[in-house]
Amino acid sequence: MSDMSAKNKLKIYPKSVICDDESVLIGDVTISSGCLIHPHATIHAKSGPIIVGENCLIEEYVTIVHDTGTVDLDNSGPTLVIGSNNVFEVGCTVEAAAIGERNVFECKSYVSNLVTVSNNCVIGAGCQLVDEHHLPENTVIYGKRSEQRETIEKQKSLSMQLDHLRKLLPNYHHIKKPTFDPKKPREIA
Amino acid sequence: MDVQDTFYNKDEYVETASGNKVSRHTVICGSQNIVLNGKVIVQTGAIIRGDLANVKTGRYCVIGKKAVVRPPLKQFSSGVAFFPLYIGDHVFIGQDAVVQAASVGSYVYIGKDVVIGRRSVLKDCCIIEDGAIVPPDTTVASFMRFTSAGTIEGGQGNPDYVPPGMQEQMIDYTKSYYEHFVPIV
Repeated sequence: MSDMSAKNKLKIYPKSVICDDESVLIGDVTISSGCLIHPHATIHAKSGPIIVGENCLIEEYVTIVHDTGTVDLDNSGPTLVIGSNNVFEVGCTVEAAAIGERNVFECKSYVSNLVTVSNNCVIGAGCQLVDEHHLPENTVIYGKRSEQRETIEKQKSLSMQLDHLRKLLPNYHHIKKPTFDPKKPREIA
Repeated sequence: MDVQDTFYNKDEYVETASGNKVSRHTVICGSQNIVLNGKVIVQTGAIIRGDLANVKTGRYCVIGKKAVVRPPLKQFSSGVAFFPLYIGDHVFIGQDAVVQAASVGSYVYIGKDVVIGRRSVLKDCCIIEDGAIVPPDTTVASFMRFTSAGTIEGGQGNPDYVPPGMQEQMIDYTKSYYEHFVPIV
């Protein structure tokens, strides 16, 4: 895919903060408002479009790939919708087939494309989910052997962290400009 | 300890007046908040997040390839804050490590693929094994070894979980690593 067509397919809603240094967004990617992307993150819409929900936090060296095994050449691939309020911590690789809301993918976790993640799940640091799996709500994956249990604790609210970073990051980074305004009928090229 | 020569491309690395060797292919954010105290090597792909809070390292540190050094975050009821991150002298940080510690002492060895959780404290002369995950708010005391299985080994009556003369060995190792970090001629 050429650079130009990839750029045109990238939709960034207003009020999102995306650090421009070395972050790679390939293919048909939509970043909803309120998202925050640190430098050096990779989002690759390989088999179809990716829509990142509102208020997601994506840290350094995160790789999010939408990969069903086929390469989307004629824009007919299924859409991967990532829910709102998810956290992707440093170095995690997420290829999950579906991602709900309020999930946390901790540092260096790996989720393969056979896994579907519902809501309020936590994938612990360094945990690997390779086999076919459906994570019910409130699941926690933890430990060396990636064991699974349910949590009764609620996730801490992300909003304060996002607010803080939203104020901080534009002082130090080039921020990608929004390319899409829902109030206007047509995209701003 | 014998350290083999590590070669680097002369065009890629910048050497500062105090002897720091920093790759051009790194993400150094908020450089005004970062202090590298001299003879520090920052290798390709490393990220140092000085924009979040101050980062200070001592002399003769090695920050490996694709390592991420970022100040730790704490959530209070009234808001969030990033704490400054202090790293001592003669610290080795392996490749792909993620360091979100509150402080790292001197003569610390951090292996590759390690995750140091938020606000952990690593005291002097400790070892973090390759692939270990240090949970948030952990303290690893001096001369302890944090294993990849997630246990802390060592302590009274358990000598030699770190090599004898850990301090001298780390001084030797980081100094010779610096001296053997040479440009391709």
